[in-house]
Order: sequence, then C-alpha cells, then structure tokens
Amino acid sequence: MTTYQFLTTAWRWNSILLIFCALAVAGYFLAFRRRGRPAYFSAALVVFLVALISPVNALADGYLFSAHMVQHIVLVLIVPALLLFSLPRSLSLPRLLIALTHPFIGWIAGVGAMWLWHAPALCNAATTSKTVGAIQTTSLLLMGSVFWWQVLAPRDADRLSPAAGIVYLFTACTACSILGIILTFAPVSICPVYQHPVDRLGMLDIIRSQWGLTSDRDQQIGGLLMWVPMCLIYLAAILAQLARWHSDPAPQVEESNA
Amino acid sequence: MNGAPATATLAMVLDPAERGHHRLAWLSTVDHKRIAVLYLLAGLFFFVVGGTEALFMRLQLAVPNNHFLQPNTYNQLFTMHGTTMIFLVVMPLSFGLVNYFLPLQIGARDMAFPRLNALGFWLVPFGGILLHFSMLAGGAPAVGWFSYAPLSETPYSSTLGVDYWAVALFVLGIGSIGFAINVIATVISRRAPGMTMRRLPLFTWINFVNAFIIILALPVLNAGLAMLLIDRQLEGHFFLPFHGGSAVLWQHIFWAFGHPEVYIMVLPAFGIVSEVIPVFSRKPIFGYEFVAGSSVAIAILSMSVWGHHMFTVGMGRAADSFFAIASLLIAIPTGVKVLNWTATMLGGRIRFDVPMLFCIAFLIQFLCAGITGVSHAVVPLDWQTKNSYFLIAHFHFVAAGAILFALMAGIQYWFPKMTGRMLSERLGKWSFWLLVIGFNMTFIIQHFLGLYGMPRRVFTYPDLPHWAWMNMLSTAGAFFMAAASLILVWNLVVSFFRGKIAGDNPWNAWTLEWATTSPPPHENFDALPPIRGRRPLWDIANPDRPDPVVGKDTAEIESPDKNKAGILTFILSEAGFFAVLLLAYLYFYAHPQPGPTPRGLDVSRTLVFSVCLFASSLTFWRSEIAMSKRHRGSMLGWLALTIALGGVFLVGQGTEYWKLFQTGVDVSTNLFATTFFTLTGFHGLHVFFGLVALLIFLWLAWQGDFALGHGSAFAAAGYYWHFVDIVWVFVLFTVYILPLLR
Repeated sequence: MTTYQFLTTAWRWNSILLIFCALAVAGYFLAFRRRGRPAYFSAALVVFLVALISPVNALADGYLFSAHMVQHIVLVLIVPALLLFSLPRSLSLPRLLIALTHPFIGWIAGVGAMWLWHAPALCNAATTSKTVGAIQTTSLLLMGSVFWWQVLAPRDADRLSPAAGIVYLFTACTACSILGIILTFAPVSICPVYQHPVDRLGMLDIIRSQWGLTSDRDQQIGGLLMWVPMCLIYLAAILAQLARWHSDPAPQVEESNA
Repeated sequence: MNGAPATATLAMVLDPAERGHHRLAWLSTVDHKRIAVLYLLAGLFFFVVGGTEALFMRLQLAVPNNHFLQPNTYNQLFTMHGTTMIFLVVMPLSFGLVNYFLPLQIGARDMAFPRLNALGFWLVPFGGILLHFSMLAGGAPAVGWFSYAPLSETPYSSTLGVDYWAVALFVLGIGSIGFAINVIATVISRRAPGMTMRRLPLFTWINFVNAFIIILALPVLNAGLAMLLIDRQLEGHFFLPFHGGSAVLWQHIFWAFGHPEVYIMVLPAFGIVSEVIPVFSRKPIFGYEFVAGSSVAIAILSMSVWGHHMFTVGMGRAADSFFAIASLLIAIPTGVKVLNWTATMLGGRIRFDVPMLFCIAFLIQFLCAGITGVSHAVVPLDWQTKNSYFLIAHFHFVAAGAILFALMAGIQYWFPKMTGRMLSERLGKWSFWLLVIGFNMTFIIQHFLGLYGMPRRVFTYPDLPHWAWMNMLSTAGAFFMAAASLILVWNLVVSFFRGKIAGDNPWNAWTLEWATTSPPPHENFDALPPIRGRRPLWDIANPDRPDPVVGKDTAEIESPDKNKAGILTFILSEAGFFAVLLLAYLYFYAHPQPGPTPRGLDVSRTLVFSVCLFASSLTFWRSEIAMSKRHRGSMLGWLALTIALGGVFLVGQGTEYWKLFQTGVDVSTNLFATTFFTLTGFHGLHVFFGLVALLIFLWLAWQGDFALGHGSAFAAAGYYWHFVDIVWVFVLFTVYILPLLR
C-alpha cells in the first residue's frame, strides 16, 4: 500500500456512528426547530465524522499516538465548542444538570479529559477495545461540553465573567501543557499499544520508513500537539474573552483575584 | 528658573519632619516614590558598572590577537556584563518606573504592601553585592549569564563564582516575585473610584500583565538555581551526566525562565512607549484594546516557546518544528503593537522632544530586532547564526536598541514629575544622537561580523579578512555610547539642581500622575479629578469635547481584599516552583540509577503522618469558623491543634530522613536520593514556614482580641496552609504511590 492508496481507502463507514449522527440530527431539529443554529451543528457533525472515519482514525487505531492525539483534541475541544455554538441563544440547562455548571466541575472535566485518558492502562484499553473506545469518545464529548459551558454557554448570564474566564482558561491551558511536556519528554511509552502496532493495514513500513515516524518520535509529536497547538486553542479563547470584555456595552466591574 | 533652588531641592530630598533622623529617612522609607527613586539609582549605578565591563570587552576585541585581557578575565567580564545588565539594570530601572508611576496612574496613595516593596528593593543591592563579592572569593563566575551545565558544575568551575552567581540570582528572583505580587495586589485593590480595569492607562495595564509573567517565570529559575546549588554544595546529581543527571534539563529550565524573561524586560518598555507616543503625537493611542489584548497574547505565547533557544542542542526534528511555528506566531501580537504605535503617530501633530525621539528610535530599532528575531525561528538559519555575532547583534537590538531606548524615553518623560524640574533638552538631544549613532555603529556591523563567521564567547580572534575593521568600528561605537551615558548622567545631576521648574503637567499629558504636583506630596493626591475614560486630564482640559465614557461608570470601585490577592498570586508562584521540582523528579524517576529507589520508602508510615497534615487543613477551617463566630477559646484550640498536626508531620518527615541517613542514604547517594530530598525537603521547609506563620497568629490571638480587622490576614495564612497540603497530595502521589502502581 502506498501513502496515496492509504489516504483514499482508509475511510471506515462505521454504521453505528452514522445511525448516531442521524439520530442527533433528528433530535436537534425536533428539539429546536427554527431556533437552532444549524450551520454550527452541521460543522460539529462534519468535524466529528471526519475525526472518526477518516484515515486519522485508521492511524489512531493502533498505529500512531500522534493521530490519537489529534482525535483527542478534536473531540474534547473542537466538537463540543461547535455544539455549544449550535444551541439556541436563549437556552439554559434543565434543572437536573445544574450541578454541572459549577466552574470547578467544568475545569476538572476539561483537564481530567486530558489526564485521565492518558493514564497508560486507560489509553491502552481505549485503543484495543471497541467498547472502551466508544466510552472514551462519548466521555470526551461530554467532558468537553461541560468544560466549554463556562465560556460558551448560550446565555451570557450562564458564562463566567471575562476576567474569571481568562483565569479558568489559562489555568486549564497550563495543566494540559504540563501533561504535554511530560508526554514529550517521557522516555517510556505512555500508551504501549503504539510501540509495537499490529499491522492490520500493512502500513507500518510506510509509517516507519517513509514518514520517518519511529514510536519515540510519534509520542513526542503527540506530546507537542497537546503542548503547543492545543495551547493556541485556549489562547484564542482567552483573546475572545478579552474582546468580549472590551466590547461589552455594560461590563461588570472585574473581580479577578489571581 | 527662579526661587531658592537650593532649599527647594533640599525640601524635595527630605521632609521637614525628617531632618532630625535624616540619615535613616531614605534607608527606612516605605514610600513607593522614594523606593522607586532608589530602584532607579541602583539601576543607573549598575548600568555604569555593566557598561564599563562592556567597554573592557570591546577594547579587548578592538584588534585581532589582542592580549589586553586574559581569556579567563574576558569570560568573567561577559558573564558579569550579561547578568548585571539583565538583573541589576533593566529590571531595577523598569521596576523603578513602575513603582513610581503605577500607583499614581491609578490614583492610589501607595502600593498595596509598602514594606514588601521596601524589601523588594533592598534585595537588589544585596543581590548585587553577593554577585560582585565573588570577585573577592576566588573570581567572578565565568560561565555566561545562562550558566550552562555541566560547565557550571563543580568539576569544571571549582571556584565559588557560580555559587555566588546562583545565590545572587535567587535573592534577586525573590525580590522580583515580591514586586510582582505587589503590582497585582495594587492594581486589583487600590484603584481610585472610577478607575475600572478597562480604563487603566496602558503602562499600568501592560505592567499588570507583566507581573503575571514574573510570577510564573522567576520561580522556574529559582527552582533551577536551587538544584544547581544542591549539585555544587551538597554533591547532588541533577545536571551532571556521570551519574545519570541531564545537562539538557538545565537548559530547559533556564530557557523556560529565560524566554519569558525577555518579555519581562520588554513589556515595561512597550508600556512606556504606549504612554509617550500618544502624548507627543497629540492623539489618543490607536486601538487601545489591541495594544492591551496583544500584551496578553505575548505573555501566554512567551511561556510556551522557550524551545527556540535550544535548536542547536538537538531536540529532534519534531520538537524543532513545533517550536519554530509557535515562535513565528509571536510576531503577530508584536507586529500588532508596532502598527498601533505607528498609526498613533500617523496624522498626529508630533512634537520632537527628547522622550519622543527615543521612542521613534525605539520603533525603528525594535523593528530590526524583531525581524532578526523572527528569522531565528527558522531552524536551519538558527543553526548557522546562533553561536555567531549575528545573535549578539540581534539580542542587543532587543536589549539596548529597544528596551534601553524605551527606558531612556521613560526617564526623560517622567523626570519632571519625579523632581519638579525639566531635563535639559540640549543635553538630552546630544545624548540621544550620540546614543543612536553609537548604538548602531556598534551593533549593525556585528550582524555582518556574524555572517562572516565570527563566533560568540571568544576572547580574541585571528586576523581574517574584514574582521579587524568591523571589530574596530564596533569598539568605536561603544565609546560613543559611553559618551552618551556620561552626558545623560551629567544631565540628570545638573537638571536636578538647576533645571527649569516643570510645573504639574509640562507635556500636557492626560493620565493621573500629571494631576498632582511635581514631585507629588507624600500621599500623592489632594483630590482626584473625575475618572470616566482613559484620559481624565483631557476631559478636564476639554469639557466641551471629552473622550467617550469607557465602560460602566461606577462611583465606588469594588476592591477585593489585598491580602487575598497577594496570597493567591504568591501561591501561584509557589505552584510554579513545585511544578518544576515535581517534573524534575518525574524525569529522573523514569531513568532509574543504581542505588536506593522509591520502593525502599516506608509508605505506610508516610501515609500516617500525611493524614495528620491533611487533617490540619480541616482543623484550620474549624478555627476560622470559630473566629468568625468570635469564639476565642475554640479558635485558639483548633489553631493549636492545627499546629500540633503540622508538627507531627514534620516530626514524621524528620524520622524518615533520620532512618535514611542511618542506612547511608543522603542527597549525594544517587539521583533518586537527590530528587527525593530536594522535593520533600522544600515541601518540609514550606510546612515549617507555614507553622511559623500559624504560631505568630496563635501568639497574637493569645495576646488579645485578634479578630478585629485581621480576619483577612488569617484567611490568607489559611490559603497558604491549604496550598502546602495540596502540594503534599501531589508529592505523596508521585513519590510514594506511583511506584506501587507499576
């Protein structure tokens, strides 16, 4: 198999995923009808599907830790953010879920999604077992949504004040960067599955020799993805908070403490 | 010039009430303005010292194969020059300006913690003396300001120079962190009514952001210095490769501090320029929000791109690419700022007074510095030029061409406010033009010298084509700069005694520091003008066309407790310190060395005394509740129990250490022992300090009715105590639990 063949053929049309997406579309339009923002919702679905059926998924499925990291970041940070954008602007959470809207819970969810699933045992299990993998995907989406709710909730009243939002995002960014640093410099494999992949697609030789991705370098790239580009997502959100603060027609007096 | 200048000047130096104890008046001062002047004087003094060192180096390099200086002397000079200029010149000078004008710009009477402020300043001369004392104790450090391991380790630098260097920087780092805590607490809790965060002058805002970089970056250096000292003094193994240590780890730690440090120095310069350019262009700053926001972007990016200092170390292609891209990104927020300043000048009625001249030179030279800087983000180019004079030229364009010029602009701009007298424009222009000519003569040519292949850190060079005249030109330029500096000092002295009387607002500026007398009275303001926007004095001078109101107009500012703001920022810096120690522990844990391992530790005993420490957080909380209910006896009881539990923890840790010592395990045994004792030892030290603080509170509470007005101080001590416990959660997990999971 060549790289070109791989990129064109390694798309896996997973029926469960497609059914899930169809149900989500139906549910979205039934629940919100005209009030929703379907552009964001379809963007969320497209990104979600691309992350899970494209060659990225084939690589993440036992070949490359860095591909797994791309998936991880997309599922925690990008898809949930787009989902929150797609909600009608007047929506607030049902009472049952109000406990999830505490900033502390949000922070723990966002940072926990990064740390928890990179414990070696869990990372391995999520890659080798389909069930654990599905649990991982679902939990990443949920934890990501809980995290972003503090910053991107549809109603302004449900969001943190800009100053608190900056502290929230910056500390989360630091906590994830530390994990990125550990992954980058760890001399041992964090997710040992990727060290000796089972070569199901006959790709291993191309990855190792043509792409030049040894398992060490692969893990390093994974760590760097979490360290640098992910930080840029948080940075963009922080700048958005600053813009919101400066554009607010009736801003609150800021109460930052740290 | 009129009046009785001599007595007026004397009155400025000493209050009438202080004549009696005039010897101590400036030594014991806690007034932010006087502390600021002390910072500035210390900075100028060390500027002369560091500048003289540079002149000696340039003399040595003036001609090829020169033997004016010994090689070792030359190495000492370039180490001392770099260290002095960064830690004893640029930082004190910018801290001095911030100390003077940040409280004035927000309408405050003083900094939030005046005594901490005095401590921060006095640590500067203390650090300076420690650093220079090394010359009497066997020779100054000769390892460069970055002090790369293993050269900085005992086998290669056996004199005490590096030890003094490390202790001096540690002391200066503590002073800088104290200063930054003070800035944050002041901005948060000491703003005048109406001065909302959105109305802050840019100088204040940028230095507020900068304080966070200081809080996060300096502890990283301090952690590294502590490790270096443990290596040198206690025979630890952190950075020595023979026993598994890592010299590259030192570079990571140093540049994780060192890159933000560049921004710690340059952001105050941005702040000064953002004040001066609008005033001398007679226009408000173009795009306030963009200047303010890009500072935040710079602050955050600066902390994650240190890798670009290490392209030549061999981090691997993957790491190089990521750091190259992230470093290129910094050009965006910096470029935004340059555009803002230029657009402010565009169409303005520019007054070419000396402060503005310095700002214009700053803009041009900073642009060059930025372009050569961005070029270093390109890895292959970096490999070629990193260890050549091209890099020397680049960072002197940043440090001198940008930062020093902006500081000069600030000093010229604010001198009238500090002394009540104008600097001489004529002398100012002389020193400006000499400095511009001298600076560019010295450093433009060094770019070419670097491209012609002259390496840095060499005490002399062979007579290769073009090298000789280029170096001679560079040396000649350095003497132009020295002349400019002499004129500057002369100008400062003469104008202080005989300058034109300035009046309150000689430049027709718009921020609050110009709304009071020059120099300001002890309490800064008799009455504050109404603050509705970013230029209160413009609104007063032009009542028919005031600035638009910025944000909601609040009569009373909410001022969160300064103790809380102070302790939380302090905790942030301590968290950074422990994060570095923990990461170093983990790094070496993954590379086990022969000898004792964490498996030999007694986990069950540790768990017992850990429970005591965690319980002490609960008992402290009970004590706080009792205090808020005014139950004095119960408060004393719970507090005493807290202290007892903390004491049990320390005794437990002491027992553990004793047992280890008895089996022959100490800091020098192997890398595990080095990292173990460093991590748990520093935590134990923090517990000890916490206990001392709690004992003081116990004593105060025992003495009398402590509850009145001290609740927030007590709560602050509580935050610290809980923080120490939380750190132990991480240490306990990493050191004791993690090996069990394998």
